[in-house]
Amino acid sequence: MENNTTQKKQRKKPLQKSSFWKILQKSSLSFWAMAPLLLGVIGLVGIFQVLVTPKMLSSLFRGNFMIDTLIGTLTGAAASGNPVLSYLLGGELLAQSVTLYAVSAFILSWVTLSFVHLPAEIAVFGGRFTLYRNILAFVFTIIIAVLTTLTIQVLP
Amino acid sequence: MKEKAFTFRGKYLLLAVILFYGVLFLFNSGIPLSALKKSILILMKVIPIFIAVILFTAILNYFLKPKQIASHLGRESRAKAWLWALAAGVVSHGPMYAWYPLLEDLRGHGMRTGLIVVFFFSRAVKIPLLPMMVDYFGWTFTVVLSLYILIGALIQGWILEMIEQNNGKLK
Repeated sequence: MENNTTQKKQRKKPLQKSSFWKILQKSSLSFWAMAPLLLGVIGLVGIFQVLVTPKMLSSLFRGNFMIDTLIGTLTGAAASGNPVLSYLLGGELLAQSVTLYAVSAFILSWVTLSFVHLPAEIAVFGGRFTLYRNILAFVFTIIIAVLTTLTIQVLP
Repeated sequence: MKEKAFTFRGKYLLLAVILFYGVLFLFNSGIPLSALKKSILILMKVIPIFIAVILFTAILNYFLKPKQIASHLGRESRAKAWLWALAAGVVSHGPMYAWYPLLEDLRGHGMRTGLIVVFFFSRAVKIPLLPMMVDYFGWTFTVVLSLYILIGALIQGWILEMIEQNNGKLK
């Protein structure tokens, strides 16, 4: 009988709600545990922004729409920074007669793919998830870039 | 459930980045210094987002029990969960890595992996930047691209779930 009461008490314990401050402390602590990872990524983003210049990126396009779409996807993934920059650069690329296929792929992969985020993504979500997610994002970036351009050409 | 012991993550990544900066400094001190300045600026910009993510994680954990999170975003969740992930991706602000801790927490509580994929890809639709996109590329381009991004995000989430069904949970 006494045993039963103790068991009931034990079952009830986890249902007690922790205070908000305790939960906030816990989530701050788990974020703090990730600080070296996030600082590492920010450091990588900083170095990429200095080493990979917009001029360097725009010089890579060749004029062939298929190759340029691939280059657009890869350069967007290699570049980092605010997405506003990708629009500015995309506008510049269009003015330099780079195809809309490549520019769409470039601005899309800027946000959805990132080489510099890979180490952190692997550490947080695991290698297999990161691999599949990035392959899917890469393929879909190309598909969406092509579909967008084709749709715009068809629309009046 | 046993609490996880506190350990810093990404120590080796940070160490490798510091070493890389050090090696660059030996060849050209200008590059690592301006990279460091850029990194500090980025950090300043993302700190408010980090704080918002910490608060959001705490609020979610306070109001929702792991079981409730799992029922809303887990295996049993329905179309609503996919739409929530899509909407969350669209309204989320800041860099992708700022959202890793929250998503890891939700995943630990049973969130479906496909929803994470949907969230990450739908982030490509940036509502505050839409006027700028319209200005650069026009209305038609902006609407068509945004629509395809949202559809593409959902298909990717679905494909990833199919992969998981055949190969087991992706880690």
